[in-house]
Amino acid sequence: MASEVDLFNEYPLHLDPSSKAISLASSSSYSSAQQTALHAELQDLNQLHRALIALEPPNIPPPPLPINPKRSAQITKLRDSANTAYRKNNYVEAVRLYTYAIEMALARPGWEPVTLARDEMAGLYANRAQAQMAQQAWPEGLVDAKASVDSKAVGNVKAWWRVAKCLAEMSRLEEAKQFLVKGLEIEGKDGEGGKELLGLLEDVEKDLQSKSGLA
Amino acid sequence: MVDWLSLAVPFAYLGVLIGSLATFASLYRKRKATKAASLEAWFPAHLQRDIYFSLLHLEPPSTSAKEKKAPSVPESVLKAALLRRATEDIKRVMTLRSQKQALSMLLQRGSVGDDLWQRFQRAEKEMEEEVRDVVTEANAYTPNWGQTIFQSANEMMNNDVYRRRLDEHQGKLAEEREWWDKKKTSIKEGFMKELDADFSSSGPAAAVAASAVPVQPAAPSVQTSDDDAVLVEADPSSAAGNTPGGSGGGGKKKKGKGKK
Repeated sequence: MASEVDLFNEYPLHLDPSSKAISLASSSSYSSAQQTALHAELQDLNQLHRALIALEPPNIPPPPLPINPKRSAQITKLRDSANTAYRKNNYVEAVRLYTYAIEMALARPGWEPVTLARDEMAGLYANRAQAQMAQQAWPEGLVDAKASVDSKAVGNVKAWWRVAKCLAEMSRLEEAKQFLVKGLEIEGKDGEGGKELLGLLEDVEKDLQSKSGLA
Repeated sequence: MVDWLSLAVPFAYLGVLIGSLATFASLYRKRKATKAASLEAWFPAHLQRDIYFSLLHLEPPSTSAKEKKAPSVPESVLKAALLRRATEDIKRVMTLRSQKQALSMLLQRGSVGDDLWQRFQRAEKEMEEEVRDVVTEANAYTPNWGQTIFQSANEMMNNDVYRRRLDEHQGKLAEEREWWDKKKTSIKEGFMKELDADFSSSGPAAAVAASAVPVQPAAPSVQTSDDDAVLVEADPSSAAGNTPGGSGGGGKKKKGKGKK
């Protein structure tokens, strides 16, 4: 049994001397499925390697906590400028800035805690959804709000409301109702957000009824 | 003399019995052992681990050919490969953990065979050794890295899953956009038609309505049939000679609408 630990399948790998990128030297002996898996893995490996090289001398990922504050500060800065753009009714600019912030948050190295990433993304996506909705870009708003809700279900009333609002605007009332009910379940009916959810639910139900009355 | 001869029969009987039992037992055991050895592995080949070891073994030829500073695999690449390996290990350990309870319950009820359990236990033992191996390797690169490598790997795995979810969401955007554009145009057409319908009932834009009515999918149904009737009657009256044929056609058309 002990010898089994030392067994492995050797792959003909090649190291590019200048860029240090790893690639497959000869790929003739593998099936195409194996090859794609190998290439994907090697690509991930090279990407991770570049991320590691960017770190300080020991070149190992630091423990998940504490977090490097630099990136967070940059993201916050971007978000603040996006917020001001939104407040000045410059929605296109706001969407652009939020997109930058989202990209930056997405580029967070993988070893940083996922809960942090989720929180951050939830806020950014919810805000971008709002900016999209202000331009009446309902499908974009819907996708962003959904992503936000998926990132953080609890304590994210606004995003729930935005999902439902976008759906209602596109007259997908059934779906809107589903989301509202789910949002109410998770967030509770108390508080301002809960009341807004309830209000929208009433509207949606009224529309539903009038629709069924017509048909 | 007589005693020996008569005793030989039971002895021979015993000998044959024990001999056959022994051969059967040894054969059975051998077969079982080979079966256990040839049991299918629980997981497919550990790609990340294979790559890591392949990288380790990439070194010797170049180092032995030249001096020690020959272009060997840099440590940072090995570290990255080790991290990838740890990430895959975490995935496997998690699957084992989640499967264990269900599997042991199934085994107790007798719903699954014994060799499945054997395969599982072997996988568990292998993963234990694998994890230990990764920790020692990590400590060899940087002291105390072994304590945090799996934490980092865990976060990396979760982040990976999360990013993929977000990608999925954003991937739906094109579809949603297309759907909405289509819907929007149909709504717009619907409005336009309603407007046209209002006009046509008052008279002047009858021709426009005539071209628009057949295309309209499922707009307010009562109005359209009314329009149709008006149009059909209006048409033949303008072409005076064809009155009978025209009115007959109108009748047919009305019937069709009525059936609907």
